[in-house]
Amino acid sequence: MKHHDRGLKHFSLSVIWLWLIVFALLPFCLVTLASFASHDDTHLLKLPLTLANYWQLNNAIYVKIFKQSFYIAGTCTLICLLLGYPFAYAIARMKHRFKGLLILFIIIPFWTSSLIRTYSMITMLKPKGIISSALMWSGIISKPLPLLFTDTAVMIGLVYNLLPFMVLPLLTNIERLDNRLIDAARDLGANRITTFRKIILPLTMPGILSGCILVFLPAMTIFYIPDLLGGSKSILLGNLIQNQFLIAQNWPLGSAISVVFTLLLAILLLIYWRSTRDKENRDLL
Amino acid sequence: MKNLPVTSYLTGIYLFFYIPIIVLVAYSFNDAQYSLVWHGFSMRWYHELFQDGDLWIAVMHSLVLGVAAATIAMCVGGLAAISLFRYQFFGKRLLNGLIFILILSPDIVMGISLLILFSLLQVTLGFWSLLLAHITFCIPFVVVTVNSRIVSFDQYIFEAAKDLGATDTIILSRIILPLLWPALFAGWLMSFTLSIDDVIISYFVAGPDFEILPLKIYSMVRLGVKPEINALCTVMFCLTLLLILISQFALRKKP
Amino acid sequence: MIRIVLAVIVVTSSLIGSVAFANENTLNIYTWSGVIPDFIIRQFEKETGIKVNFSTYDSNEIMYAKLKADKNPSYDIVEPSSYYIDRMRRQDMLETLDKTKLTNYKNLNPAFMHQAYDPQSSYSLPFIWGITGIFLNKDYFPSNSIKRWSDLWNTKYVDQIMLLDDSREVFSMAMRVLGYSANDSDPEHIKEAYLKLKTLLPNIKIFNSAPISILIDEDAAVGMVWNGDLFKAKKENSQLEFIYPKDGFVIWVDNFAIPKNAPHRENAYKFLDFMMRVDIAKAVALDNNFPTANLAAQKTLPTEIRDNPTVYPSQDVLRLGEFQTDIGDAALALYEKYWERLKMGG
Repeated sequence: MKHHDRGLKHFSLSVIWLWLIVFALLPFCLVTLASFASHDDTHLLKLPLTLANYWQLNNAIYVKIFKQSFYIAGTCTLICLLLGYPFAYAIARMKHRFKGLLILFIIIPFWTSSLIRTYSMITMLKPKGIISSALMWSGIISKPLPLLFTDTAVMIGLVYNLLPFMVLPLLTNIERLDNRLIDAARDLGANRITTFRKIILPLTMPGILSGCILVFLPAMTIFYIPDLLGGSKSILLGNLIQNQFLIAQNWPLGSAISVVFTLLLAILLLIYWRSTRDKENRDLL
Repeated sequence: MKNLPVTSYLTGIYLFFYIPIIVLVAYSFNDAQYSLVWHGFSMRWYHELFQDGDLWIAVMHSLVLGVAAATIAMCVGGLAAISLFRYQFFGKRLLNGLIFILILSPDIVMGISLLILFSLLQVTLGFWSLLLAHITFCIPFVVVTVNSRIVSFDQYIFEAAKDLGATDTIILSRIILPLLWPALFAGWLMSFTLSIDDVIISYFVAGPDFEILPLKIYSMVRLGVKPEINALCTVMFCLTLLLILISQFALRKKP
Repeated sequence: MIRIVLAVIVVTSSLIGSVAFANENTLNIYTWSGVIPDFIIRQFEKETGIKVNFSTYDSNEIMYAKLKADKNPSYDIVEPSSYYIDRMRRQDMLETLDKTKLTNYKNLNPAFMHQAYDPQSSYSLPFIWGITGIFLNKDYFPSNSIKRWSDLWNTKYVDQIMLLDDSREVFSMAMRVLGYSANDSDPEHIKEAYLKLKTLLPNIKIFNSAPISILIDEDAAVGMVWNGDLFKAKKENSQLEFIYPKDGFVIWVDNFAIPKNAPHRENAYKFLDFMMRVDIAKAVALDNNFPTANLAAQKTLPTEIRDNPTVYPSQDVLRLGEFQTDIGDAALALYEKYWERLKMGG
């Protein structure tokens, strides 16, 4: 019996370890190593090891893109939160018989291919597309609105794609909210704003944070949204990394950007981790 | 409808979600070669869509890749979740941490790191590189899904089974798997969807022999030369809708 | 339960097997987007029984990077522009062509052979050529209101211009505006061109190299375009106009080549020979609307195309043009460095 036990345990553990080491740990080590490598026309990666790639990042242009990416992803997260919170709240607190159906209708875009939704956004934003045509028909504007291929278009595309990722964790979190706490606060004379600030907001903080992470992380790297909606002017880190690897042929620099980027994210996540350490609810995802 | 502001806000967000999709569906009937502007009703893009052999090969490739990646990820991820739950072993926290990191690491970094790995190991980019990559990014999601279910298990069941002389293998096949299969299925479904939908990671590790649907759609959207893409997107949207409805009904039966 | 798991594993592995070890009689073609129509590929498959994997790119750099990234060669046919033929030839990335296998070689236009980028014409077969010029939409700007590249710098075009997503093309424009050759490789001049382009940035709305729907839907009303694309778009939007810039323009040639150690070389030769057949080259030219490098096919084209000034300009107009040639790796690297900066906004 003992023998059998060990067999299964050893088998499962070695499969998992092997997989994660070869396909997760090793590649990440390789990226780090590649970020110190040099390159030339015939070799994508070669010795000697150098710090030059990191020095290069100190260039004003790269710093600008880093800042811009964090700014755009941050703005996108904020917009998603402002749009998504009241929406999730209203649906979660609803006692309507269609509630299940309404939730289903949020899940549908969540599961629909993000590429397809980005493409549908192109048809909307064209100067001859539906938004411009509708506004012109109603007489609000007289000339077609140049929305497509602007930063605004990228932002709309990002929010449109990522909003469900904000709404769903919020929804689960708010649904679990204990009504008695809110009633108690009201009974004790708290007004709506105080109740929200002192009771609802702290209790839904885990949902807010999960939603923000789920929006913020992809917002910086979905390179195809700026590519399709922004007119190929690289503005996000995702485009920058993709460009280094698949166009400019500079794998070491691309790796260095990825390493710095991952470190910055890790710091952010560490802050999140610390801030929720004491709370029992650390339900990311 | 007692609360007008709330109702109109909800309607607004739902319109934001759905109008672009409805417009897309409408355009799939548009009778224009390159343009996204309305030129009249036509079914010809659906006709062309079903004639396009390359596209269907890409669909088939994506399905095979999705099924294979999801199945293997389900096996490996399921084993990982069960082991993490049942066994004490050296490096357990590290394993947990690794899975967590894998979920949070940006797609693009995973894509390039696998590209570097395959390039150094001289793996030809194509089916195998895609399969390995897809399994890797699906595993953590299976672990999380299975884990959320497994933690609600009663430890005493295993103790009782062990006392009655059950081996680990029997406990796994007679107790754990039957209790766990909804979660495993959910993990499988999630992996399948992720695999079918992935652009970013596949973009780096795909090769010419094995074209998959998301990359095909990406190049069609980017290079914008084929209007049948509207029809394709409509068909895919309807299929997603169908899949969600089926899974909703399936889940509703088993609370 | 175990049985179900086993069944799933068996089904999955047989699926993998059926796909991963599929038919070996294939050909992997990688060309510019929009130059080879699907029906031609299908006809080739039908005639030869070879299964074609057809993918496309929209810049030489992407194609070059893809070939470099994959250690094991996987493409059989690529279609680089002339200056990339030179670069890849020098880096030993191309096969020497065995012309005895190309029975239709005689159909090609000798004007595009034995050029500096491939002196012996031993690596490349010219396929299409064309001109990079200016387009404008008459609904937005008066006809002929633009005469030369330098007009694009006018502030009335703020946030309106489309440029090709192609470093050489965009820099060639700047070089011509500054009065240099489009093939200039002097680092000082390249830097000057970069600074000149920087001042154009406020006017640039979009970089795109597959612009047909953009032209038709008027997402941009003025900018830089390849003549064939414009001709194609004009069929659906008659307001479009092609202009040969008075300050000079680039004439480019795209060529077929076989990458070194391509896995299906024999099939590649069959495809190249097929593409040079008069009936095929004619059908391709009628679909992609670019000037063909197949002289025999060009002669069979309907006169409204053969004499169309947008597709086949007169010798007089062509005198202002300049063939795009290789500028050397150092200059190319410099172009690409500045190009990257430019696309990042300065």
